[in-house]
Amino acid sequence: MAIRDDEVIVLTTPPMSRSEAVYLPNIIKGFGTTLRHFFTSFGQGKTSRTMQYPEQRREHLPVLEGGLNASNFRGVHRLNRDEEGRVKCVACMMCPTICPARCIHIEAAESPWDDREKYPKKFEIDELRCIYCGMCEEACPVDAIELTPEYDIVGKSRQEMIFDKEKLLHVYDVTIGKKPM
Amino acid sequence: MPTWFNAQLVTSALTIIVMVHVILVTCAYLVYFERKISAYIQDRIGPNRVGFDFGLPALAFLKGCIGLGQSLADGIKFVLKEDYTPARVDKVLFTLAPAIIIVPALIGFIIIPWGGTWSGVLHLPFMEKPIVDAGEVVVVGANINVGVVYLLAVAALGVYGVTLGGWASNNKFSFLGGLRATAQMISYEIPMGLSILAVLLLVGSLGAMSIAQYQFEHGWLVFSQPLAFVLFYICSLAESNRAPFDNAEAEQELVGGYHTEYSAMRFAMFFLAEYAHLVTGTAFLVLLFLGAWEPLPFVTIWGDEATGILGVLAKAAIFMGKVVLLVCFGMVIRWTIPRLRYDQVMMMAWSALIPLSLLVVVATSVMVYLGKTGMGWMLAANGACLVLALLAQPFMPRALSNRRVPLYGSRFSPVAGEAVNTAPTDAMALEDRPVQGTAALR
Repeated sequence: MAIRDDEVIVLTTPPMSRSEAVYLPNIIKGFGTTLRHFFTSFGQGKTSRTMQYPEQRREHLPVLEGGLNASNFRGVHRLNRDEEGRVKCVACMMCPTICPARCIHIEAAESPWDDREKYPKKFEIDELRCIYCGMCEEACPVDAIELTPEYDIVGKSRQEMIFDKEKLLHVYDVTIGKKPM
Repeated sequence: MPTWFNAQLVTSALTIIVMVHVILVTCAYLVYFERKISAYIQDRIGPNRVGFDFGLPALAFLKGCIGLGQSLADGIKFVLKEDYTPARVDKVLFTLAPAIIIVPALIGFIIIPWGGTWSGVLHLPFMEKPIVDAGEVVVVGANINVGVVYLLAVAALGVYGVTLGGWASNNKFSFLGGLRATAQMISYEIPMGLSILAVLLLVGSLGAMSIAQYQFEHGWLVFSQPLAFVLFYICSLAESNRAPFDNAEAEQELVGGYHTEYSAMRFAMFFLAEYAHLVTGTAFLVLLFLGAWEPLPFVTIWGDEATGILGVLAKAAIFMGKVVLLVCFGMVIRWTIPRLRYDQVMMMAWSALIPLSLLVVVATSVMVYLGKTGMGWMLAANGACLVLALLAQPFMPRALSNRRVPLYGSRFSPVAGEAVNTAPTDAMALEDRPVQGTAALR
């Protein structure tokens, strides 16, 4: 593909002053900047920006100082329970439909309870496929699925990272204190 | 016993064995220093987790250790990783290149007199007679009188490993990196050799010990040859492919440069060789300009007097300390000066460093001819060189920046009289951008 001459914009660099042309004065100025940062951040000094993660966490900071806002953080999902401790989900299939990553798999069944027609017999979320966009939470008509402030989940296999209904309900039990419904 | 088997031979062998290990460990820890210094300069913390506890509860008190175990962990990682050879590489050269680069890096240092002269007496305080009394020996791998030439020759061999590694990888980025390294290292050898020449003219000898001795008598050469010192330092950075001259492995342009295709221990060889080159080159700089093992300028504590074993250790420690300090300064340079573009690197060598070093050599020759080699006279000569260079600088030819360089004979820049079709041949290109009708965009 040819670059035609009329497509070329010729830029001329501004002329350098006498001291700039020798470079050394500006290089020495640069050493000043580099060394200032070296000494001010030495041993986690005042300009050091690092947070020592497992010991210090964003949850420990106030929101205005860069802390984690639990009310809108999008972490691991949970399945909410209703007042009687049953799963709140009505297996309406809104969330697997909206899910852009296709990571939610629901098998619906006839509900054993009188207040709804269906309930999820199986509810699985592949936490490795999930992109944590929060659209399932927005789609849910009964506020059954929610994203929690938990972000440091680990597993030893991919299978372990597919959360089933019991695990998602367990996440609800653990996180209800951190993020009320 | 044969005559060649003497105290000097044993000392040399011991020095080599000890210093190879010292240099390898230094290289490992220079990587750690590099990461730490980079981190602090960028307001980060750097490695601070890996200690020496190996997960054992009994060694829990060695946990953390400000990340000092990182080098060991990196080494173990290099050994355990998969040593991958890509398909369609030149297998022989691909295997040979890491060996070719590590050998010159590890044999260059043998002419460096780390510990100066040893009295040859090893006397423990609680014993009446010394264990060893062998007469004066020099604590150096090889006490040869052409040491400087040897080191230059060996350092020049390092480019083969880089070039072969880039060539054998069968990867255009590696190849470009290898090519760049070749041209750069060959170009920078010229000002390097010339700036060494300025020193050798003063000293009048090629032996490492004579250079050290001259500095104890006449003051460090950095004060009488400051220009040569700066030139040599710049060239040694370029020779060991350090930033701002790391074009051979410019990550933003060439992925990883000449070692893109290497993994595991073979990559570690390249990595190690780079740092060993750095240590050797810096030790050479300390020997030539910074008074070898003397801690302070203008004050001669040991000189080339023979000392006991403790003195030798102290001298070696000071020598190594200077080397490590200078290498750390190189790391500060790395984060201060951005990488030069490749043509700028070449411009710098051929139109700045080489004329300047020639000027320094001429000035030194004149001063040596006149017999005025004292520090004041040499400083005056250096000052005159600098003034002359600054005066000449505006009149130096300079390259047009960001200029299109036509490749004559290609279909876009045909040789005069040649009929070529400059229309794009690729249908996709035509679709992308019609030949007619885009000029209106401007």
